[in-house]
Amino acid sequence: MNCLQAEEHFSAHLEDTLDYQALQGFEEHLAACEACQHEYTRFQESVKAVQQLPQIEPSPYFMSTLQQRLATEQREPSSVKEESVATGWGRVLDVFRRPSWAYSGIMALILAAAGIFFYQNNPLFNQDFRPASVATISQGEQITTSPEALRIELPRFARNSRQFAPSNVISTPTQPMQQRYMLKQVSYTTTSTSGGL
Amino acid sequence: MPDLDDELMERYQKGDENAFTLLVRRHQQPLVNFIARFINDRDSAEDLAQETFIRIFKAANRYKSEGAHFKTWMYHIASNLCKNELRNRGRRDRYKVDNVVNSGSDSDGDAEQIDLIASAPANPAFEPEVALERKELRNAIQTAISELPEQYRLPLVLRDLQGLSYDEISEVLELRSGTTKSRINRARLMLKEKLKPFI
Repeated sequence: MNCLQAEEHFSAHLEDTLDYQALQGFEEHLAACEACQHEYTRFQESVKAVQQLPQIEPSPYFMSTLQQRLATEQREPSSVKEESVATGWGRVLDVFRRPSWAYSGIMALILAAAGIFFYQNNPLFNQDFRPASVATISQGEQITTSPEALRIELPRFARNSRQFAPSNVISTPTQPMQQRYMLKQVSYTTTSTSGGL
Repeated sequence: MPDLDDELMERYQKGDENAFTLLVRRHQQPLVNFIARFINDRDSAEDLAQETFIRIFKAANRYKSEGAHFKTWMYHIASNLCKNELRNRGRRDRYKVDNVVNSGSDSDGDAEQIDLIASAPANPAFEPEVALERKELRNAIQTAISELPEQYRLPLVLRDLQGLSYDEISEVLELRSGTTKSRINRARLMLKEKLKPFI
């Protein structure tokens, strides 16, 4: 047994609850270790000093005050809150009664909800959106009259408007300038020039 | 054989109002002592002890003597009330400290704290010098107890000041017996170090 192990047995030795083996080891160590002898003596004295502290008496009005409070309680049962002492779920809920935890939790929920909403509605995060096809048309390199060939993928929030467009009009994204430009290009190439220009 | 507290609770459950008064008379002094030593505040101790009895009064119909002992149940309720009080006091103190820092005045926290040692009955047989030394030692012990972390202070007060057994303390604190013993030993070791200048 070393000094730390001996220290762990101070209370048990003081209260005479050590088993035979532990008692033998403790007393052998104490007999050989002067420092532990000194510490154990101080330990005994401090425990004794604590145990000798005087008892504190209640005031003479304790009972009468209590009876008044009980009478009030019987008249107004809701005046005293239900016991909120921590057991089971009460302990979990108790954490959220602390302002810092409660506010942090609420802020985290609000931020998470805002993030999800922003992600779902912002076209920058939509993988279906391919603005490159618009650029191809605007440069006039592969102009075609076929609406099918010119079809471009629209952002999710604009897709529903496509089904209301006439079948001979090219579907376009919602930006008005872009729409006008594409329609002009198409009409130019489909107009007969009779070899002119 | 049921103990007297259980019998009194049974009588109260059957409508005997005097049984509850007897229960209060039996336990008011140890309960006030326990709370006052634990939270280091005599005035609040009376209030919390009364609150404990009101909780017992309200929950009396749910009490079953086979499930628990009255004494451990009472200390369990009182311990939780004390913990709540200390937690609320901590919040108020933080607020107070902030205000003090802002206003630049001294803290009046010490003024609120009742000197438990001075209010305890002194033995007139002592010489004044001896009595003063003794009072200083008691003061130091109470201060040292109040400085212990809550998880060590509570079992120490229950054991060394209230005289509960290790099994009873384990029941009050809902701890395993080994943990209770270990915490009490640790609390006593901490106290020994804090009292080094005096002992």
